[in-house]
Amino acid sequence: MRKQFIWRSQAVAVLFTFLGFSVVAQVVRIQNSPEAAAFLRQQSDRYAGQFRTIYPTRGEIYDRNGYLLAGNQTVYEIGVDLKAMRNPHTIALALSTHLGMDYNRVYEKLINPPQGQVYLPITDFVPAQKAEVLQQLIESLSEQPTDSSAADSPSLAGLEIRSHLQRSYPEGDLAANVLGFVTREGRGYFGVEEKYNDNLAGKPVTVWVPLDPNRVEETPKIPQGATLILTLDRELQLAVEDILAQALYRTGAENGTIVVMDPRNGEILAMASTPRMDLNRFWNYDSVYQNASEFNRAVSMPYEPGSVMKVFTMAAALDTGVVSPDTPFLDTGAIQVGGVTIKNWDEQAWGPQTMLGCMQHSLNVCLAWVATQLGPQTFYDYMQRFGFGHATGIDLAGEATGRLKVPGDADWYPVDLGTNAFGQGVTVTPIQMVMAASAITNGGRMVTPHVLYAMVEEGQQYNTPIQYAGTPISAEAAHLLSEMLAVSLEGESSAALVPGYRVAGKTGTAQIPTPYGYYTSGITNASFIGWGPVDDPRFIVYVWLEKPTSSIWGSETAAPVFAEVVRKTVVLLDIPPDAVRQKTMER
Amino acid sequence: MTTLTHAYRQAPWRVQRQIVVTVLAVVVFAAMVAALYLSVTARTAILGREIQELSAEIEDIRQENADLTIELARLRSTAEMERRARAMGFSPAEPEDLEYIFVPGYWPSGPVSFASHTSHSGAIAVPAAYTQSLFDWFLDRLQETTPAGNRTSQR
Repeated sequence: MRKQFIWRSQAVAVLFTFLGFSVVAQVVRIQNSPEAAAFLRQQSDRYAGQFRTIYPTRGEIYDRNGYLLAGNQTVYEIGVDLKAMRNPHTIALALSTHLGMDYNRVYEKLINPPQGQVYLPITDFVPAQKAEVLQQLIESLSEQPTDSSAADSPSLAGLEIRSHLQRSYPEGDLAANVLGFVTREGRGYFGVEEKYNDNLAGKPVTVWVPLDPNRVEETPKIPQGATLILTLDRELQLAVEDILAQALYRTGAENGTIVVMDPRNGEILAMASTPRMDLNRFWNYDSVYQNASEFNRAVSMPYEPGSVMKVFTMAAALDTGVVSPDTPFLDTGAIQVGGVTIKNWDEQAWGPQTMLGCMQHSLNVCLAWVATQLGPQTFYDYMQRFGFGHATGIDLAGEATGRLKVPGDADWYPVDLGTNAFGQGVTVTPIQMVMAASAITNGGRMVTPHVLYAMVEEGQQYNTPIQYAGTPISAEAAHLLSEMLAVSLEGESSAALVPGYRVAGKTGTAQIPTPYGYYTSGITNASFIGWGPVDDPRFIVYVWLEKPTSSIWGSETAAPVFAEVVRKTVVLLDIPPDAVRQKTMER
Repeated sequence: MTTLTHAYRQAPWRVQRQIVVTVLAVVVFAAMVAALYLSVTARTAILGREIQELSAEIEDIRQENADLTIELARLRSTAEMERRARAMGFSPAEPEDLEYIFVPGYWPSGPVSFASHTSHSGAIAVPAAYTQSLFDWFLDRLQETTPAGNRTSQR
């Protein structure tokens, strides 16, 4: 009996021996074949885990007092696990009912998914309230006893809700022109969001996430995007935006811009520009703005400023010693520069004047004469030193440079020397004007404006240092000019004056050039630049109203707006009246 | 003696028992190794799952934290604060409403600081006992027992 099984035993033994040798041979082959080993390793790794790109949470943006201006909020992506899906009709019905989606489109998408896809995203950025309703529906349907064999029994099996963060702006449209916005793709556009996009977004890291629990490791710590603290004061920003809105309503101006800067360090305390949009609804951008330069007119919209430019013409003249505040000038109402006659704003002759009178009455003829006394070389040297024709370097996206034609340019004519002296034929941005004015308030030293107060990365705060942009004029010239402008405001009882605070400044009324090179009549840009307190400037305020209809004059439209801004500024920045401050300093 | 050995060898049940015991010993040993391996593997798997769950929880908490920050910011927003202030009878202050008082030594606070004073190292701190030498430990003990007044503060 036993002998009958011998051959069978031998056959089994041979088979196992063969199998054993095969395994050994395969091991030897793999060991000696890197390609085979790599292939098998790849196959193994393919199912052992997956590479996942982790995007850091976008950094938050705060104002100088720690109020949140831009943060992140959870939103939800709705998708379907196609393998687990049982009833596409129920899913399409639920999404159309609760999310307002088109039933047919969703249903079509579900029954005809792309080849090889296992997860089908349906929609994204669903707010928490709607996602919660859907989640409750999923749970209630999953608890109901269903007949799994019936294909048409209601089921939301396969419907998945995944959360992620999206940019959110708790203040809506406050400081919208400075902040910019972030699209759903996570990219920042305009303002701080664009300028500091890389810092805010952080660096995405791709990590290997094993699916095998035996191989699970702690996810490496991904540094979050940098947090930004801006120089803006939220309360002042709101006040300035309100004042601007009221000014537009009162004057009938099409648009407006107000900038408030601390001249000691270049910190922008408030920057308002119209129109503004609710940053949480950034998709309305196209309906609010015609082109990108309108997003923040303070930095992106060059315009001919008019008489506010006389401040810098006079600064150059005082610095070179060509004139002094008492230099006499006989105003005949007209002057020839480059063969073209230049007249005063009222086309009148103002007779004997001093430089103080020229500034007080904003006489074009006088300032054109001052520019001719300087000569084109010196005049344009000073204008370039003040930064006109160049970007200020403010840390906001989309800064324009304006245009300062200089001798030698194909489109420069000798008359430009005369017109540029009173701010026509030259284009500047409000931020350029503010930076240039900082030279007068800072004893001749010009400061670069900035909106970033500090950047916080991994617990370390890096404060923005003060950056000086040159010294275009001497301290003596700066003090002389500041005094002249203060006296001229007081002399004409300007609407820009603020009781208790001595301020200096200059109005501007500029004609607007047409695309054909001519100037329009009756339509102007009204501006005002001013600062205070004169003996220790804490703020520079620039106001620009476009095409006001109540009056064309800056003295009647922009100057009162300056006073309103100053009244708010001194309260919110705790700047005591001059008498109180001087008394305190004496102690 | 030779007879005894011979008789022992000849007994078939003894040989069988020897084989059975040997096989059993191998099986028991293998079972112990398997049980140990299973225990370690199971514990590793449980820890792995816990890590996965904690990672998910961290993400959930991070999102919840972001949501709460936004909610708080909305409650403290300019529009909301103004509405509440007006409802309480307040109105915006004008320069004429203010009275300034001289306070010697007062220095107005500057902008906010978000610098953190805590360590952000992701590594787990290794206790000193694992790194210090016996001599270091002895010095530490000595310093702890020395009265504070006797220590020098210069470094």
